Amino acid sequence: MEIEHIIQKLWPRVRKKHFYPQLPLPVVIEGGEDCALEIKSKQLSISSAFYDKLKEDMDGEEIVEAVLDHGITHYMYCPWDFHTHLTLYNEAKKVVRQKDQAQRAATYFMDVVADTYCVKEKDTNIAALYKNLPKTGVHEVLTALYEKIWGEDLGSGGHEELVNRLSRIPYLDRKSWKESIKKFTEVIQHILEEEWNDEQMSSHREPNPMGEHSLENYSLEEIDQGLREFAGAVDDLQEFKETVEDLKEELEEKGYGAGGMGRGKGNPLDANLLYYMKLAESYTLPIRKLPIEKTGYLHPHAHRPWEIGKPFADIDVWTSFGKIIPGITQIWTKREGETHGEYEGIPDCLIIIDSSGSMINPRERLSHAVLGAVCACNAYLKNESRAAVYNFSDALRGNKIVLEFSHDKEQIYQAICRYFGGGTALDLDDITSLLSRADNPDIFIITDMQITNLEKLIDFFQRIDNRVTAVHLGHNVHTTRFKDGMAKKKNISLFNVKNKEDIPKIILGKVKEYLTSPAEWR
Amino acid sequence: MKNPFEAFHHTGARKREIPLDTILKSKEETLSKILTGYEDLLKNEAKDLVWLMQYSTVIKAYSIAERGIEGLEYTAEDIEEFCYALDHSDQIPYLITGPAGIYISALCNHAQEQEICLHLRDLTVKINLLGYRLPTNKKLMVQGNVGDFTGIGLDGGELIIEGSGKNYTGAGMKRGKIVVRHNLGFNTGHGMTGGELMVGGRIKGLGKIVGGKLYERDQLIFPNEGIKPFYV
Repeated sequence: MEIEHIIQKLWPRVRKKHFYPQLPLPVVIEGGEDCALEIKSKQLSISSAFYDKLKEDMDGEEIVEAVLDHGITHYMYCPWDFHTHLTLYNEAKKVVRQKDQAQRAATYFMDVVADTYCVKEKDTNIAALYKNLPKTGVHEVLTALYEKIWGEDLGSGGHEELVNRLSRIPYLDRKSWKESIKKFTEVIQHILEEEWNDEQMSSHREPNPMGEHSLENYSLEEIDQGLREFAGAVDDLQEFKETVEDLKEELEEKGYGAGGMGRGKGNPLDANLLYYMKLAESYTLPIRKLPIEKTGYLHPHAHRPWEIGKPFADIDVWTSFGKIIPGITQIWTKREGETHGEYEGIPDCLIIIDSSGSMINPRERLSHAVLGAVCACNAYLKNESRAAVYNFSDALRGNKIVLEFSHDKEQIYQAICRYFGGGTALDLDDITSLLSRADNPDIFIITDMQITNLEKLIDFFQRIDNRVTAVHLGHNVHTTRFKDGMAKKKNISLFNVKNKEDIPKIILGKVKEYLTSPAEWR
Repeated sequence: MKNPFEAFHHTGARKREIPLDTILKSKEETLSKILTGYEDLLKNEAKDLVWLMQYSTVIKAYSIAERGIEGLEYTAEDIEEFCYALDHSDQIPYLITGPAGIYISALCNHAQEQEICLHLRDLTVKINLLGYRLPTNKKLMVQGNVGDFTGIGLDGGELIIEGSGKNYTGAGMKRGKIVVRHNLGFNTGHGMTGGELMVGGRIKGLGKIVGGKLYERDQLIFPNEGIKPFYV
């Protein structure tokens, strides 16, 4: 096939031009004649029908080179990664308030940025390609924009007012992309609306000739990393939630679940959970090991679903049907043997979290208490220890969640994120019962200390030898009482937090300090 | 020694100047001149970061603003850019909404375009005094909410606010038309002698109106039997 031959001939030159991107050799697909390019998981695919159609007006090599320049620049410059893509989508959504239109605005913006970069920085035929592409709807405006900002005659013109406004946007200034896409979307908003309304009437969607930009472009690892960065960058939980809810279908289709990667479609995505999960991943807490009795060699103990990123060496081929597919493949969880010794290990942890009415609802706003608990939980789980959760409001009236010691991150997160919003009372029998199910576990309690039976809790903590990290919000008579009650106990470290926003930092710092100091309490 | 990166030298790089560079450069230059005019106004009118809203100070500030923009070539987009620079940029040490509004009004009144549309929805502050002395044959459309004293002394122009305004909107207007899509605050139309003020939402309170017409949700509320003109 002629086009395949051209791709093979041009590919080394194009790669060199773009500083050797890590992309496989592009392939030819039997796509429609209206869409030149498709990008799926870094694989560029050029439509043969598009090529055949355009060949009448343009040299074959020029077509292929221009299409490749366009595709590679998306990979090398804009959007570059999934986080940038999400950010651009999120900003466009703030203007148009509609998923489909926001996606299109982001796509068009990324095209303008990538092509303008290419025209300015590289030797490319992109301008000639646009000259020969059909110019209707928004593409007519964009081609007129290219004419103005590239200084090329592309046979378009018109739309002076729109083009004037669009041409003032600094497309190549990466730092101002967030502001730029908002201005860009505002200017083309009415065209996007018209386009969308027309499509609703005719149920026919006009494809973007230079290809669509969807989640298909990214691998699961890139999505995972992008979401982590996005969670840290957004202003609040609602912003993250809205974006993830918008892309929920696509994420689930790709096999992305809240419990990590590769859990399959059966696990519905919880945007709230994902937010805390991704945000907490930005903090890593080292854990000081303590002398424990259970030590020895590792032996296969139980099966868990395999996730991308976990070692292949631990896969149990016999129970995985010989397949490496997230959600189907099983992995061995290894445990230490029972031989005795004075080796160091990491204990399990009981997380006690207050979700009474005085605490922030983690599903409405960023709860630093939940974030702190999730960070602490991560620190233990990463070290193969288990975590149990006691989430309480008015526990004596049943407003509580008691989760047994487990490695199941998703289940633990769900238990931590649950919000009751009622009164505040602990049922110490539940805590005693949970503590008895692990070998001297650590305790991590996070509350505002306005607990009805605080005296009983103080008595309880005075009787136990477990390491306790107590974090409370604000300063009040209850915290003073708790502090006084615990003054002589060396195994309890209390954090007096004046500002709610300081919670994650203080937990991190203090836990680090506490966990890296010698285990002198024992 | 052989340069290991030699293969990358001049590889596909063209790096040419494109018209976009010139457009952005010229935009920056114009904005910088507009900012200089605004800083001059602040130096004269708000030395102690305090600006008292009085009839005489407004007139004086406006004439300083007019002098500041004399001979300046700019478009409606430059005015909008200036509004955002006021809000976000660290180029301006402080924002005082009174002088800022007078300066923006002067820019609008002397712009080449007859129709100006300012997209100010993303502004975190509400600019006061927008549309001050808007002359005949000028139409100013503002997307977003505005502050106090909007459209005061309106002089025949058409001011359309696609949002809400605060107090003293249309105060002292002589002729022309103000359309506010949503709500207005207290002392609306205070001292207005002519023109029309149309409000799509609610008005919290009227000022002492002398003349003109005032509509609230398509209902003529001034003049009518309940509210008589106020004569000084």
